Amino acid sequence: MSSSISFGDFWALFGNAIIAALLVAALCGYLGFFVLLRRLAFVSAALGQISGLGVAFGFFLGSYFGVDPHAPTPVYLDPVVLALLLSGVVSAALGNVSRVERTSPESLVALAYLASTALTILLLASPRIVQEAHEVGDLLFGNAVAIRREHFVELIVVALVVLCSHIFLFKDLLFVSFDREMAQAVGLPASKLELFLHVSIGISVAVATRAIGALPVFGFLVLPAGAALIASNSVRGALGLSIGGAVLAAGGGFYLSFVESRPTGPLMVACAAAYWPLAALYRFARRSR
Amino acid sequence: MEIIRLERAEIGYDKPLLPPIDLSVRSGVRLAVLGPNGGGKSTLLKSLIGLLPLLSGKRVFSSGRRPRAGYVPQAHRIDPIYPLTALQVVLQGRYGRIGLGRFPKASDRRTAVAQLERVGMAETARQLFRSLSGGQRQRILLARALCGEPELLVLDEFTSDMDPVASAALLGEVAQLADRDKVSVVFVTHEISAAALYSTEVAMMDARRGLFAAGRSQELLTAETLSRLYGQKVSLERNGERTVVFVESGRPT
Repeated sequence: MSSSISFGDFWALFGNAIIAALLVAALCGYLGFFVLLRRLAFVSAALGQISGLGVAFGFFLGSYFGVDPHAPTPVYLDPVVLALLLSGVVSAALGNVSRVERTSPESLVALAYLASTALTILLLASPRIVQEAHEVGDLLFGNAVAIRREHFVELIVVALVVLCSHIFLFKDLLFVSFDREMAQAVGLPASKLELFLHVSIGISVAVATRAIGALPVFGFLVLPAGAALIASNSVRGALGLSIGGAVLAAGGGFYLSFVESRPTGPLMVACAAAYWPLAALYRFARRSR
Repeated sequence: MEIIRLERAEIGYDKPLLPPIDLSVRSGVRLAVLGPNGGGKSTLLKSLIGLLPLLSGKRVFSSGRRPRAGYVPQAHRIDPIYPLTALQVVLQGRYGRIGLGRFPKASDRRTAVAQLERVGMAETARQLFRSLSGGQRQRILLARALCGEPELLVLDEFTSDMDPVASAALLGEVAQLADRDKVSVVFVTHEISAAALYSTEVAMMDARRGLFAAGRSQELLTAETLSRLYGQKVSLERNGERTVVFVESGRPT
């Protein structure tokens, strides 16, 4: 990006990408609250990679069925559908890692992360999908400045469905996260609620990763919520700070990218990372008072 | 009247801890579960209220429906990262009655405040749960369990983080609350004296040795049965309502 173009031109070129980044930030800022409370930070990183694997696998399968990557694709070969499916299934499975014997949750998450990354790279190295390698590369390393219309629509639909359903289920999801056994004892369907939470995180990560890239999605899931939990002593405060902070970091990243001609995704993450020392300073100042 | 019964039930995670057991919990009973560490007491509690499925056998509800249950775990099991106030934690006890996807009403909040007052913790309503002491947290978790107006209250070593005086006081309060509200209480404890004082019935178990027995406290809480349960010579001295327990260390039975 260059600062030599006017803001109007900039908006005309990147308006959808900016709206998508703000929407992803709000969605991830909200979901990040659960991701951190449930200690799933690296699960979200693994899901970003798994989403990339789903896309790569979709293109790979498509090459066998003679599908043109730039033409309409059958649903069962659609890279987005495969990415959503894979992310949803793995997310649901990773939600149960603490129940697997003789291993630790983080080692299973590492297995998912490493296996999906390695498989994606191997698929990308296949001569069958040379044309699509660039697209999967965008997914893995982030491309917040270009978004296709269909990805934009998918993102809006998923964000609306997830956020609206969570408005109604928030108290139950928080209860199940806080004390699963008591939630179950009072008659709430704890396993189904956990499955719903994990699948909604998995699908959101898949769509968001497709829209703006894995790095900013991981950053928005972990950094604003982490700082918010340091700074705030209330659920509402932490949620507000997390969502607001993520949106601000997305906007700030785009602005800095515009004026400094630097890559947008990493700048958004750098903005979000700056909240941590600020939150720690705020906490320190409050304690010293 | 019986509210829940385990019939030829095999309990455990993957394989049965014990041969099939029968256990009945009647309305208004205070049932203490005793046994050495690792003996399967928590597994029994979870199996009783359906947190764990039975490996075989039946869980029978005499009224035809699952009784409303309140569960109080050990406070240290709760993750302190959550920025929840004491009142928000207590209100969770209503969520089963409020229903999935519905919002708490003013009456639910009033019930939660009333339960906080009942356990003597009204002044902590706005304080963060994680900032409270171990004993205060247990009282909050007890208030949460009572907030759902349970028919069955299940306490899993809920006084284990407390000093003996606070522990005895809280158990005494639970006994009073249970009597007043006609709530059945099942509690796991390592304090035999507390079990003798507050329970009307007792279940003794040690999964490692395949021991299980249940019955009236007065009949089952004897030096002989306790010595067999713990594998150590135990003697009891009764002083009115109180029972003093002596464990003769180094003298296995």
